[in-house]
Amino acid sequence: MQNTNFSKIDGVIPKEVTIPSSVSEIQSFLRHVTKEKLSVIPAGSGSKLSIGNPPPQIDFLLTMKKFNKVVEYIPDDLTITVGSGMLLKDVQKILADNNQLLPTNPPYNNEATVGGIVATNSSGPHRLRYGATRDLILGLRVVQTNGTIIKAGGKVVKNVAGYDINKLYIASYGTLGIITEVSFKLFPKPAVERTMLLNFNQHGHALRTSTEIVKSQLLPVFVSFFSAGIPDTEVLEPCLLIGIDGHPKTVAWQIDQINSIANLNGVVQKEVYQDHKQSQLRSSLCAFPEGNGSNSAVVSRINIKPSNVGNFISSVLDLTSPFSTYVMSHIGNGIVYLILSDFTEEQIGLLANTLTVLRKQAVNIQGNLILEIAPLGLKNLMDVWGEVGQKSQLMTQIKSELDPANVLNPGRFVAGI
Amino acid sequence: MSKDEPLVLELIDLLGYENVIIDDISLKVYECDGAEFFKALPDVVVFPDSAEEISKIVKLANTYNKPYIARGAGTGLSGGTLPINAGIMIAMNKMDRILEVDLENRQAVIEPGVVNLMLTQAVQDKGYHYAPDPSSQQACSIGGNIAENSGGPHTLKYGVTTNHILGMEVVLPNGEIIEFGGPIEEDLGYDLRGLMIGSEGTLGIVTKAIVRLTRNPQAYYTMLGVFETIDNATNAVSNIIADGIVPAALEMMDNFVIRAVEAAFSWGLPTDAGAVLIVELDGVEVGMSDEADQIIRILEDHHTREVRTAKDDEDRKKLWTARKHAFGALGLLAPNYITQDGTVPRSQLPKMLQFVGEVSKKYDIPIANVFHAGDGNLHPIVLFDKRDSDQVERVHMVNKEILQACVDVGGTISGEHGIGVEKQEFMPLIFSEEDMDFMVTIRNIFNPKQLCNPKKIFPIDETIGVTP
Ligand SMILES: Cc1cc2nc3c(=O)[nH]c(=O)nc-3n(C[C@H](O)[C@H](O)[C@H](O)COP(=O)(O)OP(=O)(O)OC[C@H]3O[C@@H](n4cnc5c(N)ncnc54)[C@H](O)[C@@H]3O)c2cc1C
Repeated sequence: MQNTNFSKIDGVIPKEVTIPSSVSEIQSFLRHVTKEKLSVIPAGSGSKLSIGNPPPQIDFLLTMKKFNKVVEYIPDDLTITVGSGMLLKDVQKILADNNQLLPTNPPYNNEATVGGIVATNSSGPHRLRYGATRDLILGLRVVQTNGTIIKAGGKVVKNVAGYDINKLYIASYGTLGIITEVSFKLFPKPAVERTMLLNFNQHGHALRTSTEIVKSQLLPVFVSFFSAGIPDTEVLEPCLLIGIDGHPKTVAWQIDQINSIANLNGVVQKEVYQDHKQSQLRSSLCAFPEGNGSNSAVVSRINIKPSNVGNFISSVLDLTSPFSTYVMSHIGNGIVYLILSDFTEEQIGLLANTLTVLRKQAVNIQGNLILEIAPLGLKNLMDVWGEVGQKSQLMTQIKSELDPANVLNPGRFVAGI
Repeated sequence: MSKDEPLVLELIDLLGYENVIIDDISLKVYECDGAEFFKALPDVVVFPDSAEEISKIVKLANTYNKPYIARGAGTGLSGGTLPINAGIMIAMNKMDRILEVDLENRQAVIEPGVVNLMLTQAVQDKGYHYAPDPSSQQACSIGGNIAENSGGPHTLKYGVTTNHILGMEVVLPNGEIIEFGGPIEEDLGYDLRGLMIGSEGTLGIVTKAIVRLTRNPQAYYTMLGVFETIDNATNAVSNIIADGIVPAALEMMDNFVIRAVEAAFSWGLPTDAGAVLIVELDGVEVGMSDEADQIIRILEDHHTREVRTAKDDEDRKKLWTARKHAFGALGLLAPNYITQDGTVPRSQLPKMLQFVGEVSKKYDIPIANVFHAGDGNLHPIVLFDKRDSDQVERVHMVNKEILQACVDVGGTISGEHGIGVEKQEFMPLIFSEEDMDFMVTIRNIFNPKQLCNPKKIFPIDETIGVTP
């Protein structure tokens, strides 16, 4: 699995793979590539290397997988510091032993490394309650292209000393430096977890139900909408998947409340799950952005205002009828994932046109559309990110100041960075 | 600066007489912020009404090579609004409009001069609030909150300012008006909004913000735990966190503060107690009393003398008013005070508070403690008289020892008040040369001529004649 991730990035094969095992190795490596102007793609496990414009060429693929240890974990402080190459699932295992959790459930839950998650701000459905990955990060340690090591933030939950440099690296997609260590704030594991599945026969009913829940005083951990069932399950209709975690009495009461809201809004079938079936449903939810397994699926992520989600989804369903279309949305956060599949080579042009129209629609309502997974043919027809406008100048300046030889992920990010 | 200097004439031309202050007596009002120990006069104070006007002022500052600085409400506690090298002070008071409230998307678009509490008051009838609630919220501006990345008692559960700002409009130091972030959760490219927040007004002037609004909880459960000693109280705090309970707020006041607050507000706090803890739960009502019981058991394990519960919403509000006015009440106790703001890992609280007590004794300088205990964010309030130079010298040692101790146990030198001028000399306690060089590199990208709020945050060689 990992090898296939690494072997080709948009058709380009890295000339060499380097697997440093110490910070000083990274320092001298970065000095070397900067001097020689060689290109480097930093990676954790490689689960999200599909995100980005096609690289011109790749001299090195640098993987952080040897930075896979806990640096410091003090359960009593509800904080942890880990090597960036550590798998999220291994971190969660250690935390679970102490009844704690890092409340982010991004896609690639089993393969994703902490560093990769930070570099892409990869976040899951739990952001409704706990915020995005961005909101859970306390500190970072980063090696600069000139070989110096800097620290951002720290290990305490409140810290305003100096600039908030963490934010520069979170979602910088490996273009500014190599993250070696990450500190997170943690949360107590809720006593009880339940997942409700509400089926509808009309999208509108499902969307209205979710809007009602989000604006109530209930505190679900996620409310996610599926346009045409949940992949890898027998659920085929429009539905909502809702997570309710916490004190047993609070959870039970909230389930009752949600049932009443759903009844008023045309729910067809309701089910509450726990244990095995619950983890299956939650995994399918988190894994949705990985695509539906077919090699040629195109996965886009759209960020818009929550109130625009309903109309946007209708427009998606109208425009994408030539393809197999799956839509999932974390409505309360205004995030929509769109999977398009079952298209032929000849339809790539149509696909690009369709996605360009959708991107325009998103931009018109102050949003954006990013291609997370796309075949090279499509990337050749449209930018993965879209325009950043006026900000591109500052971003380019930051990039050229921190990576003057343009060695880290050249050409893959926004504005030609 | 005289009335007929070209810069002043141009400012008057741009903004009108009534929006330009240059006479010495009026300027005095603007010589310091909440850290009133530090003083410096601006040359001129201006009151613009739009981003366009600010952009023009910034361009004038560039033309005349004059430093300039934004001022919100002037409640900052680290000397952030101090106009070192004088120059133009841009007061944000007129830009205090709430431009748009969008409850469906739980956000609002506001101007930076909007007072924190006013925003909450504008939406509370609809069942919403703006979550970051600094104790100064009756006065401080959201622009200042963004600059300092402010927190408040409810930060423990809801996060600090950076977790509640979606986007902003900024006038960059070259006069360009630009937007970072937007009415959505994730903008494209580098998170420049995130970088701006907490940059203490050194990267540009915020002229608009898109803020998140938070749904009010269905219910609160507010308790006051009374303790004989600070030690018992801080141990209880560490234990609550270690037990995996994250209340909405968890605040501590020591005897010094209790007495001052009680004299001013008479909530009925026990003036003989060593310390009290305010513990608040919020959320769904069903099940909440079980969680409260769990907390009460922990308080009892740490020998609480009694646990009182807020009787009703009014009682709760009164208690919070008392807590949030604690600094003000303390102002009566000594001519001057400096509020330290270090943060430590929560398991280290008992040790740190003991240390603060020892330092106070060692230097014979009274220190009061009222702080965000659940976050490990200390506020030792160091009381002194600045006319006594020996005291000032000792206060300096007190500050240094406390901050060093915070760093030694894995903490930091500022949890929410910022570095400003007050702590710039202490930056090397936590940051290496490389770390600081890096930040300066970033600053210089935005602010290459160093006219926008110069000589802040980073240690400077020149003495500015104000450091205690
Ligand atoms: C009694 C009291 C209690 C306090 N309690 C808390 C607390 O609980 N939590 C907390 O975090 N802080 C607290 N503070 C500190 C202070 O209130 C905060 O730092 C607050 O955010 C400052 O806001 P202000 O509007 O007064 O800003 P000012 O003091 O006017 O300015 C602070 C900084 O912000 C910059 N600035 C202001 N407006 C803008 C703008 N539009 N664009 C760019 N930069 C700008 C200024 O240049 C300056 O550097 C307290 C202060 C007092 C006096």
